[in-house]
Amino acid sequence: MIGADVAAFIEGPLMILASTRDSAGRAYIARGSGVRFDRATGRFDVLVNASLWPEVVAHAVQGEPVAVTLVRPNDYRAYQVKGWIKDVAAVSEDEQARGRAYVERMLEVMGELGVNRVQLSHTLTDWDLVCISFVPTDLFVQTPGPGAGARLVQS
Amino acid sequence: MIRLWGIRDAFEGVIPSVVATTDARGMPNISYLSHVHYVDERHVALSNQFFSKTSENVRHSGMATVMVVDGRTGQQHILHLRFTNAVGEGELFDRVAAHLTVTSAQQGMGEIMKLRSLDIYEVEDCRPVFGPAVPGAKEAGQPQHHHLAAAARICNVISAQVDTELMLDCALAELQGLLGYGNAMVLVPDGEGARLSTIASRGYSTFGFGSEVAVGEGTAGLAASSRRPLRISDFRRGQRYASAVREAAGSEVVSPIPFPALAEPRSQLAVPMLVRGRLMGVLFVESERSYAFDHNDEEALSLVANQLATSLLLAEQERPESTAEPQISGRSSRAAADRPVHVRYFPRDGGVFFDGEYIIRGLSGRLLHHFISAFLATGQADFFNRALRREPSLQLPDFKDNLETRLILLRRRLEERGGPIQIVRPVRGQVRLECAGRCEIEVG
Repeated sequence: MIGADVAAFIEGPLMILASTRDSAGRAYIARGSGVRFDRATGRFDVLVNASLWPEVVAHAVQGEPVAVTLVRPNDYRAYQVKGWIKDVAAVSEDEQARGRAYVERMLEVMGELGVNRVQLSHTLTDWDLVCISFVPTDLFVQTPGPGAGARLVQS
Repeated sequence: MIRLWGIRDAFEGVIPSVVATTDARGMPNISYLSHVHYVDERHVALSNQFFSKTSENVRHSGMATVMVVDGRTGQQHILHLRFTNAVGEGELFDRVAAHLTVTSAQQGMGEIMKLRSLDIYEVEDCRPVFGPAVPGAKEAGQPQHHHLAAAARICNVISAQVDTELMLDCALAELQGLLGYGNAMVLVPDGEGARLSTIASRGYSTFGFGSEVAVGEGTAGLAASSRRPLRISDFRRGQRYASAVREAAGSEVVSPIPFPALAEPRSQLAVPMLVRGRLMGVLFVESERSYAFDHNDEEALSLVANQLATSLLLAEQERPESTAEPQISGRSSRAAADRPVHVRYFPRDGGVFFDGEYIIRGLSGRLLHHFISAFLATGQADFFNRALRREPSLQLPDFKDNLETRLILLRRRLEERGGPIQIVRPVRGQVRLECAGRCEIEVG
């Protein structure tokens, strides 16, 4: 589903959005605090702050759908990954460290683009994290432009 | 529910907004979008050119969830929306289209994005995302000035001035003193409504009197064409608009007067100066800081702009005329020097050149040509507004003639340029040509 090119992209500095929905079809919004794609198992993990984004976490239930959008801020290249949730759990020490490293890295990257820490104060957080895991079933190009939303065919 | 009015500064799009929807299978879709536009306390509008999945989902479910971010404080708000209708015309559509046009062009996106339609949503809920307390965030969200009091004081200063030039300069000085606008200018339209010319400026290395921008181009030009305030909070890749001087058929290429502008503006705000529906000019401020202007600045500047417009219109209509007949002095108030000045005049657009250097065009150019021609023919150096309005070669309309602003523009342009030809205004309603050179005129 996710080829080497996109897998490499996922390992870069990205802004992350995540969404789950309720039974009425209302979608909820969260900012991600780090992602990880395991090329061997195809498992995709997104870290989310449960205090800031309680609705997304509340509706992150095994078997329910989830969407994650990943944007590289320096060139707006973006993908959206979708799938069905396998697992939701409090973060491990390694995952907590990954969340902390993600925030530090993105503060640096965004700072170079002229976005200051006050502007990012509610966007990049590394506390009260949970890990939502799923296996992607859909991958879309999300880069702004006429091709945005196109389903990506991976070789 | 949070009042939308109170979070208007989040409706900026500099820190992109986010929209989430759900498709017919129940799968969420989440993406960034360019702007969320405030409509009223219960409605917002979304515009995005690349909205295929979101639009499809909204048409299916009628629902969207949006997050907006205040660019100053980082504060986020979540809005639960329900789609009501799409609009392709009207005041709101025009306002959003103008904003999109200038932001897409200024951001170097090449082709200007054309707004096709605007989706209107009812806001069912609006709640803050409670984040951590951040040092500096509260201060960043506080207004720096008491805008209404400042606007009232500036309007009083404007309305107390009897001299139009002083009024313009005092207005810009007060805008700097009371509201901190260090880079500001007033531009006035030409008779055809195609261009704006700089008549007053403050905070730049040159005044740039007479420099032009095309109506419909750039922040100031779009504020003129749309008759609406236009505020850009952050030109991350600020690309300046150059003044576009159209080459008149039959004339040589015009070298535009350098436009007084910041090399890398981060924020710009342009407000049309309107009175009785007529565009009298544009009041323009800019800054090298991001988020230099918010809604309070826009509203305060609108009050000042319309006071300026009213005062300019009154100056135009008062027409104080000296009862004295024009005195034919036989020579200018300066002793004529031997220095030759080659004046070239293009009747088609009123363009005037001195020794190959572009000076001015339009009505100001026709006035300058008229003064120099009369001086060369009869020695007349003094001219009266009353007679100028009757002079057929100037093609002044019976009303809305802009004579006052064009004379100010011409006087300031000549003064800033320096050189042997100047005009002064000894009393209201009178203009005097000072020519310290041997002029020869070539037409065409």
